[in-house]
Amino acid sequence: MPPLLVIDYHNGVPAYRQLMDQIKFQVAAGMLSVGTEMASTRALSAELSLNPMTISKAYSLLEREGVLERRRGQTLVIRAATTADRETNKLNPLRQHLAAAAVMARQLGISRVQALRLFRETLNSPPP
Amino acid sequence: MNLSPDSAPFVAENVTKSYPGHLALDALNLEIPAGHVVGLLGRNGAGKTTLIHLAAGLTLPSTGTCRTFGTPTARLDSPELGRLGLVQQESRFIEWMTVRQHLDFTASFYANWDRDLQHRLTEALELPVDRKLAVLSAGDRQKVGILLGVCHRPAFLLLDEPMSSLDPIARTDMLDFLLERLRDDGCTVLISSHLLTDVEKIVDWVVFLKAGRLVENSSFDALQESFAEWTVTAPEGGLPAAFAEPYVLSSQGQDRLARLNVRTRDPAAIERFARAHRAEVKARPLSLDEMFPLLTIPGRDPS
Repeated sequence: MPPLLVIDYHNGVPAYRQLMDQIKFQVAAGMLSVGTEMASTRALSAELSLNPMTISKAYSLLEREGVLERRRGQTLVIRAATTADRETNKLNPLRQHLAAAAVMARQLGISRVQALRLFRETLNSPPP
Repeated sequence: MNLSPDSAPFVAENVTKSYPGHLALDALNLEIPAGHVVGLLGRNGAGKTTLIHLAAGLTLPSTGTCRTFGTPTARLDSPELGRLGLVQQESRFIEWMTVRQHLDFTASFYANWDRDLQHRLTEALELPVDRKLAVLSAGDRQKVGILLGVCHRPAFLLLDEPMSSLDPIARTDMLDFLLERLRDDGCTVLISSHLLTDVEKIVDWVVFLKAGRLVENSSFDALQESFAEWTVTAPEGGLPAAFAEPYVLSSQGQDRLARLNVRTRDPAAIERFARAHRAEVKARPLSLDEMFPLLTIPGRDPS
């Protein structure tokens, strides 16, 4: 059972995508550990008030990508990933955010040196 | 999606429906895919209610053929009608009956009326069962219409603006209930509504009519993934007043900054565009509300 999945219906990102991204993120961040059982399509549809088609689409794509695997008949569980995959899964979400930040830096005319310094400072700054 | 006509609960073949001085539907070819929740969208007068009436057999096509459960709608009979549920925006009732009487009356026509479902819905929607229909509020009348249309657990549910008079809480209940029917009965739902923020929570397929013509018939995911708003910034200026790329549906802006509505499934389009215009592009997906006006833009087929 995933700890927490939240769907924003109005942000234009298809709900199946949002589900996939959140599950992948939680796996990469270690919130969902290998072997964890996913809620059934039916149960998750009821919990999130989502069309069951949407959930089975997200699940089957995650299965195809190797994030989930089927066990004991129908149960879907988090699959063990290779070290390389784990690394990629961790870096991908951050890369997306940084790509957006890079666009903004160019738009604002911030130099590479300035931008890198800012990122380093942000990494080092203590949590508020 | 390829479906044999047998598995589609409703098929329209070259259907035209005209009323005196008015063409409601024009050469419509459409299959409603089984097991889906199909959002029937379009502006007022686009032909949505006509289409629902055709599917229910309430009216017959002027030319062409409509089949519901594979049967031409002129020959629909109890086996098919018993599997069909219709909820209209303003249902007609027997006004002197109480809600309870009316439910009993309608139930008597259906062998498979689900009493448990009726009681559960009556409670969930907080219906005053001992009041006469004649004195009910618009919202409560709409709730009764919903109950009368769904308690026989139809395989094909036609909903014409079923939530227009409901408050937000009743609408949420209604959507949850529809999802429950999907899970339990695997029914097909065709729902017309102007309440797009409600509809987009449950639909997985979109049919869009414009002035009696079919202009969109695709999965909701595919629609969401093809439309976007691009914010284009060119630090050195030089953006054109109008963009020639065929996937640009509309644009506004000036020399250095433009906002575009685009429709493309090509993931490389954004990069090519950025290079061609020496610009930075930030893409944002669109909600159904934002897509709606773009679906009415004529003359482009950027697929």
